[in-house]
Amino acid sequence: MAYTFDWGAVWQGLPYLLRGAGLTIFISAVAMLFALALGMILAALTQVPGRLVPGLVRAYVEVFRNTPLLIQIFIVYFGLPQLGLRLSPFGSGTSALVLYASAYNAEVFRAGLEAVPWGQHEAALSTGLSPFQTFRYVIIPQALRISFPALGNNLVSLVKNSSLVSIIGMVDLMFVANDISFNNFRTFEIYGATAVLYVILVLMLTRLLSVTERRMLRSQ
Amino acid sequence: MNWSVVVENLSYLLRGAVSTLAISAGVVILGTAAGVLCGLLRFVVWKWLGAGITGVIEFVRAIPLLLQIFFVFFGLPALGLKIASFPAVVLAMSLWMLANTAEVVRGGIQSLPRGQFEAASSIGLSTVQAMRHVIFPQAIRRMLPPFVGLCTILIKDTSLAAIIGVFELTRAAQETIERTFRSFEIYLVTAAIYFVICFPLTQFSQRAEAWLQRP
Repeated sequence: MAYTFDWGAVWQGLPYLLRGAGLTIFISAVAMLFALALGMILAALTQVPGRLVPGLVRAYVEVFRNTPLLIQIFIVYFGLPQLGLRLSPFGSGTSALVLYASAYNAEVFRAGLEAVPWGQHEAALSTGLSPFQTFRYVIIPQALRISFPALGNNLVSLVKNSSLVSIIGMVDLMFVANDISFNNFRTFEIYGATAVLYVILVLMLTRLLSVTERRMLRSQ
Repeated sequence: MNWSVVVENLSYLLRGAVSTLAISAGVVILGTAAGVLCGLLRFVVWKWLGAGITGVIEFVRAIPLLLQIFFVFFGLPALGLKIASFPAVVLAMSLWMLANTAEVVRGGIQSLPRGQFEAASSIGLSTVQAMRHVIFPQAIRRMLPPFVGLCTILIKDTSLAAIIGVFELTRAAQETIERTFRSFEIYLVTAAIYFVICFPLTQFSQRAEAWLQRP
């Protein structure tokens, strides 16, 4: 094995890699915001009386959790144009990520809502809050606190999953890594450096999440 | 919509699905064996070995699987280790499975009360014996639901093998679409096939979890 490492290639590519990492962060942040909102709405709908609405939410969650994200991206990017709906790579990549992550978030939120003891509902209602106010001011804040660690895990998964949008041509960290290494053939060094960048991203994120969680518990 | 395209190509897609299952089975066997071993090694024997294993596991878990596959398939040949696409995928995914299984093993063992370890050592069992006869048999029940969940994620993620040209369900779908140009129908049916494979597993995982939580 007579291979000479050329780490200079990494230094040369670093500014480009960092720009890619910027897009990775941006896509993940946008997708997570929408996925949190959609997940919350879906979870709230599981608490609606009757069977139809919770059943539909259940179906949504199961369909998106039991099919590969890559296929979902392909359906949005390659399949929908056939029906006349043409989205940009950014639009398709992000919306597929949102649909996928919101299914996981909905499941976490639902578990959080159901973990709030029933006495909390009764106590809130007995103080004269309307059912909506009870839900909004008493149940949701507690459910959020319960769900927070699992939502954090979903966010970390989302950052890693966002690498799949490189397949449909988004210039994120994964795309840049391929682009550079297919040009200078320094695949080992470039992919190694990319792995380190992803690790740094994930470490920063988990750190941020644990600090936020501690703050939240203290303000309780 | 043109569903006759689906009917004509269903057998080809199902051949892809068989390949998906074969890859998954190989990865589950390799990754689980190595993962359980690494997960247990973190608890017994020398501290520095455990710390080293933990470091590697955390590193692998923090990077996307797609990057791991590219690293093995494109990165290792640069060092002179030529590897075909099929073994590259199995190797990269087994590494992923190893890291995540080891994490499931750790979670299962650490969820046991501390007293179990103390009781085992107080009756004179060595660390290995305690692990083998007392801790692991109890922990394995708690490991089952997350482990099955892991297998589901793994089966879905074998779709990434298509990107480096390994024949499996997603690749079969891509080839069919190159012939027929009906991407919507074919991808929809492909998703349905993945669903049929994964749904029973997630249901089993949820049932098992609920069952274990009963007092």
